[in-house]
Amino acid sequence: MRETIETLSNNKELISPGISACVGCNVELTLRTVMRVLGPNTIIAIPPGCMGGVGVVGWNKKSGANVPVFFPLLDNTASMLAGIKAYYKKIGRDINVVAFAGDGASVDCGFQSLSGAAERNDNIIYICYDNEGYMNTGYQRSASTTRGAWTSTTPVSKEKVGGKKQHKKDFPMIMAMHDIPYMATASPAYIPDLVNKVKKAMEVKEGLAYIHVLNPCLTGWGIKPNESIEVSRLSVQTRFFPLYEVVNGDFKLTVDIKKPKPVEQYINKIKKFSHLSKDDIEEIQNYVDKKWNKLKMSCVEGGRNDEQ
Amino acid sequence: MPKTDVINGNKAAAVAVSLVEPDVIAAYPITPQSSIVEYLTQFVINNDIDSYMSEVESEHSAMSVLTGASLSGGRTFTATASQGLSLMYEPYFRASTLRLPVVMAVTNREMISPQTVWGGPQDSLSVRDAGWLQIYVEDNQEILDTIIQAYRIAEDKKVLLPINVCFDGFYLTHMTEKVEIPDKQDIDRFLPEYNPEHIILDSEKPMAVDPLTSGYLLMEYREKHLKAQQEALKLIEEVDSLYEGITGRSYGGLVENYKCDDADYVIVTMGSMTGACREAVDHKRNEGLKVGLLKIRALRPFPKQKVMEIISGKKAFGVVDRNVSFGWDTGIIYQEVKSALYDSKCYMPSVPFIGGLGGEDITIEHFEDAIVKIHEAYQNENNPQTVWLKN
Amino acid sequence: MMESKEKEYITSVGEGIYSINTGDWRINEPVLDQEKCKKCGLCFLYCPVFCIEKKDDYYEINYDYCKGCGICARECKSGAIKMVEKGSSSYAKN
Ligand code: SF4
Ligand code: SF4
Repeated sequence: MRETIETLSNNKELISPGISACVGCNVELTLRTVMRVLGPNTIIAIPPGCMGGVGVVGWNKKSGANVPVFFPLLDNTASMLAGIKAYYKKIGRDINVVAFAGDGASVDCGFQSLSGAAERNDNIIYICYDNEGYMNTGYQRSASTTRGAWTSTTPVSKEKVGGKKQHKKDFPMIMAMHDIPYMATASPAYIPDLVNKVKKAMEVKEGLAYIHVLNPCLTGWGIKPNESIEVSRLSVQTRFFPLYEVVNGDFKLTVDIKKPKPVEQYINKIKKFSHLSKDDIEEIQNYVDKKWNKLKMSCVEGGRNDEQ
Repeated sequence: MPKTDVINGNKAAAVAVSLVEPDVIAAYPITPQSSIVEYLTQFVINNDIDSYMSEVESEHSAMSVLTGASLSGGRTFTATASQGLSLMYEPYFRASTLRLPVVMAVTNREMISPQTVWGGPQDSLSVRDAGWLQIYVEDNQEILDTIIQAYRIAEDKKVLLPINVCFDGFYLTHMTEKVEIPDKQDIDRFLPEYNPEHIILDSEKPMAVDPLTSGYLLMEYREKHLKAQQEALKLIEEVDSLYEGITGRSYGGLVENYKCDDADYVIVTMGSMTGACREAVDHKRNEGLKVGLLKIRALRPFPKQKVMEIISGKKAFGVVDRNVSFGWDTGIIYQEVKSALYDSKCYMPSVPFIGGLGGEDITIEHFEDAIVKIHEAYQNENNPQTVWLKN
Repeated sequence: MMESKEKEYITSVGEGIYSINTGDWRINEPVLDQEKCKKCGLCFLYCPVFCIEKKDDYYEINYDYCKGCGICARECKSGAIKMVEKGSSSYAKN
């Protein structure tokens, strides 16, 4: 942790100090952290979504960052970055070419271009901030939304019937199966872990590095601002969102959860799940257990036990 | 010394690209364009050219990769057709509104349905208002020469717009003709380096690309975009003469005027059909009918002034379209030519023709019939309905 | 007129930083008690706005852009940060 504090306090802030992300937004935290690690030798793509909406790409003739920043289209982030990298590679300049994209732009309509770039070994860093839906357009569902969750397009009736019917797409695993050199999951509640992972992603010089961050959305999910980090931490401590990395095909938990809390504890903190019955919650718990066991079987070694 | 080779249109396009040596090429195969991608990947693996080749997973990504590369300051190339062009529409429009001088060949192919792979410019004509420059060419030599010129036009500081060089699928892509290949040194001298200042993604010069923008600024950018298109009118002509100075070949710039000066009637064509029409014009002239041919090369920007100068004062004109304009009951070029003539204040009868869709032939006989119909329109003082040139 | 002095562009680009005054947003604001503080740095790590600054051997809140979310108070394990009504603390600037 000391090292993380050193890194983050020594490095310059590259994002505008005043962006209009919601009070307590852990995506803002993730972005600022990631950018301090990446440093000024970086070009960053912010596709349409929360971070674009809050002003990270700027307004009229002003920029929202002190590095080159741009809006790709919602569905071409990875291929635009691949083109940028291709040119810099050709002229022999090493530069971090990075995406900071929401789940809609990554797991839904941006998937084709991301998968293509991964397969072609395009040397880009792709960070997905997964807030489980189209939050900037008013909380619509995405393939990344958790089963049962209320969203504005998976509404709930007075009889408490409704919510999303399908499980969350296991996107980190899908990216790992592309056999890219580096894949990791991360959480805004585990900043030292996130910082390490960004550093590892920067070391990749051949192929794509992918980091999937689960970012509970305060406004869209119904979470108190001061519990922003706490809820994020619960997503990890309940094994709902395991923190692991896959380095050249080898799986490893970076934070092991030896004594998991029940998923219910995470769910109870979030309003979008308030209509769920005991059975619904059990269904999610079973799914989480199954996924965890599968992941454990893939891991070559366990990580350090959770110390938080 | 320039060499001569007998090659098909796709090879002519690939050879032109190899003379320019773009920094980044990205392409996805589609009939009838595919062999362009094959030739280029071969050139790259043979080290004949120093370009970065990205074999993307779709046309959408092809244009996206080029957008990124061009935003970083690179010179780029891709080629596509029909469905591929439709798929890339989203980044296609944006390449022009970001003012990126991307060069793209379009091997014109019909749009489905019905399922078809044969020629026709419905694909690129359908996106004519997406802000790109579009030049339509007639033969393989013109393909090669125009692709080289395209870089000079697109990258000029007064223009800074992406450009399509469009040519008919199969008729040109797969047909071999004798083509003269210029010397690389001559092309290097002809093409100055591309050094973008208006927009760049470079960590040494942090800049935001596409911040959220108010309407008043958007209007300002659109106004400048429209002006740049008008600047291109002059530039296309200038570049044509400059290029003539090096290679001895000129295509007339925006349009080609074939025997229109003393003509009473004008028939308008575009693309590979023009050769057959020239013959028909000669036949009809031999029979005593004073007819001329106007070939449209530049569709965007549209050469309104040229078209006006050439057609106004004639007795009648007709336009042969290898495409349709849904909702107008005619082809697209017919409407464009008619709009151009409005300011000339001189009215004359005119005939819209449609033919050659889905790769069908437009024969010399078709053109002779068409010329007769134009003559009749003058005699009868009427504007007939669209005439379909069928077999 | 301001507008005429602005740099002209032919397409959508931005130079120089755009920022909004998010300090205006907060209703409550954090107060850090240096006596209770163990200098662990957790508040520094989890403030989404990065407005807690690390000095040589202590941490200090810069209120310019602090949105008053209360995360720092919640994450501090030593109870060194309290949320108080905006302006009611002598530590806080307005
Ligand atoms: S209240 Fe929120 S924004 Fe203000 S210092 Fe604490 S964590 Fe940062
Ligand atoms: S979290 Fe609390 S104890 Fe740790 S540095 Fe901040 S104020 Fe001090």
